[in-house]
Amino acid sequence: MKRSWRQASALYGGLAALALIIGLPFWWVVTGSIKLPREIIQREPTMIPHSFTLQHFEKLLQASDFPVYLLNSVIVAVFSTAFTVLLALPAAYAFFRMEFPGRNTLYRTILLAYAFPGVVVLIPLYGLFAKVGLIDSPVALVIVNVALALPFSIWMMRSFLATVPREIEEAAVVDGAPTTTILLRILMPLIAPGIASVAIFAFISSWTEYLFASVLIVSDARRTIPVGFAGIIGQYQIDWGLLLAGATAAIVPVVALFAFIGRWFVSGLTEGAVK
Amino acid sequence: MAGLSLKSVKKRFGETEVIRGVDLDVRDGEFVVFVGPSGCGKSTLLRMIAGLETTTSGSIEIGGRDVTGEDPAKRGIAMVFQTYALYPHMTVATNMGFPLEMAKRPKDEIDRKVRDAAKILHLEQYLERKPRELSGGQRQRVAIGRAIVRQPGVFLFDEPLSNLDAELRVQMRIEIAKLHQDLGTTMIYVTHDQVEAMTLADKIVVLRAGRIEQVGAPLELYENPDNAFVAGFIGSPRMNFVPATVKSAQGNVAVVTAPKVGLSEVAVTTRGTPPAPGSDVSIGIRPEHFVPAEGAAAVLSGKITIVERLGGVAYAHAQIEDGNTITVESRDAREFTAGATTRFGIDPKRAFLFDKDGRRA
Ligand SMILES: Nc1ncnc2c1ncn2[C@@H]1O[C@H](COP(=O)(O)OP(=O)(O)OP(=O)(O)O)[C@@H](O)[C@H]1O
Ligand SMILES: [Mg+2]
Repeated sequence: MKRSWRQASALYGGLAALALIIGLPFWWVVTGSIKLPREIIQREPTMIPHSFTLQHFEKLLQASDFPVYLLNSVIVAVFSTAFTVLLALPAAYAFFRMEFPGRNTLYRTILLAYAFPGVVVLIPLYGLFAKVGLIDSPVALVIVNVALALPFSIWMMRSFLATVPREIEEAAVVDGAPTTTILLRILMPLIAPGIASVAIFAFISSWTEYLFASVLIVSDARRTIPVGFAGIIGQYQIDWGLLLAGATAAIVPVVALFAFIGRWFVSGLTEGAVK
Repeated sequence: MAGLSLKSVKKRFGETEVIRGVDLDVRDGEFVVFVGPSGCGKSTLLRMIAGLETTTSGSIEIGGRDVTGEDPAKRGIAMVFQTYALYPHMTVATNMGFPLEMAKRPKDEIDRKVRDAAKILHLEQYLERKPRELSGGQRQRVAIGRAIVRQPGVFLFDEPLSNLDAELRVQMRIEIAKLHQDLGTTMIYVTHDQVEAMTLADKIVVLRAGRIEQVGAPLELYENPDNAFVAGFIGSPRMNFVPATVKSAQGNVAVVTAPKVGLSEVAVTTRGTPPAPGSDVSIGIRPEHFVPAEGAAAVLSGKITIVERLGGVAYAHAQIEDGNTITVESRDAREFTAGATTRFGIDPKRAFLFDKDGRRA
């Protein structure tokens, strides 16, 4: 499609404005983390750093508990992501393909899980975890994170499954493939982009989860970044340099994940199947 | 190898009955083609045989074994889909070997059978390619190869060539005919294409709205259709139907008239007892059965609206006096001039008579 000059400039102008709105805070955080403290708190904020220092990162990694929080966060996020994907795929397939009574009702109901704010279920969940002795355990966080990410993940995964032509599955059925084989050998490779999207969604949900992590984890050594980091701020008053360095360091694993999983976002996976 | 038998097979989707009681016997090694208008249930019936659709009532036997409730993989069938349905992330070899792998056959046997099938289908040099690196015809060959390696009792094809361009279609049609000759396996084949049906089939099954209208060898259906539907469906261009009235009947000859189009007293041979005098009938004349007007027993005249010249033959579409349009074939295109009122001779011996319900008289 050819765009007129007017349309093109409106389009790119709009995109640039959006990119600016989203990108500026990031820029400010990342560049701030390498500025000297006095430049950070300068009355006139600088967009281009005038100074350069790694002192905040040094302090972050050596004098704070940040590395511990980072490790905790990574562990919780990796397990949450793995379980979310492992559960969402078969669940989505069941909703997509299998016939059982109440399928549609159940499918619509699962998204209802998001109708309740976290705080509402916080107290009962706390009681529940206390009963089974999971308070102060990363397992509790993984369970909560999976439970929170799953409904939307199932929903997302199902729409990816819907892009696989039905005949491919039918051919596999005729070829004698059992359901698990169809799921693992045929469908999973074909919806790799969907799995990647779900994985990223689950990872980020877990990475940024604050409410449950702040209540279910008691000891400092088991905190995840969002909660532990809140502590850092209080502890040293507001050390802006440390805060910005911490925020920057917290983004790194997410960026790495995107880079790593990004290769799965290739289109045309089903090309050659049915045309 | 296996024969096949359907007994009062029915299929309902919710409230709508799509297959309304089909009985059919297919001999071992026979090539059977399902034809019928779009939506008549050809694919559904084929998928029921495959086991991809459940059977609402009735029974399906393959190779003498009742498979009505059996899993598709256990029916001894293989299916080739219109859309190929290849596994896009697997190589050609893995695609073709997949059913054997699922049957837990040893690796060397899989390799051997895949190579054998690849040889038959001229796919040897493509075995390591992915489907997206193949042409449409090659893809369909891989799909056929995947069916061959299982050595099924019955092959099921659902419009396997309709995604291919015309030239490739002809080529693949011949290959499928050869395949049937070589393997001698029972094949059931759904198609829209007259030529495929006429050339491939030992037996054509004409379906309409979930029922079988007629079963027979291609020429049998062409020369001796049971009803106006089959007569119209088999043969291309379609048979012409001219409304008429029975004037008198004797033995198995009915004398009919159609004064509106200038036909008086045409004696048409009927199959059995002709309809009583006075009944409404229609005369069926195939476009290829018109004869020169001079000396013809009866003549229709019409104004030619369009002439289609195909080289070897030409078709004239002409409006006859009752306002209906007929199609007339000629080997000699110069006979036809658009806009001219022309006389077309009818050979009553090659005309068919249908009663007002469309049954052959
Ligand atoms: N899963 C389904 N649910 C409801 N109705 C269906 C379903 N599958 C097919 N039908 C209906 O059954 C009828 C027969 O469909 P079918 O696909 O067998 O037709 P067909 O003869 O193969 O047509 P075509 O020549 O267009 O492929 C159609 O009216 C269709 O709408
Ligand atoms: Mg069909």
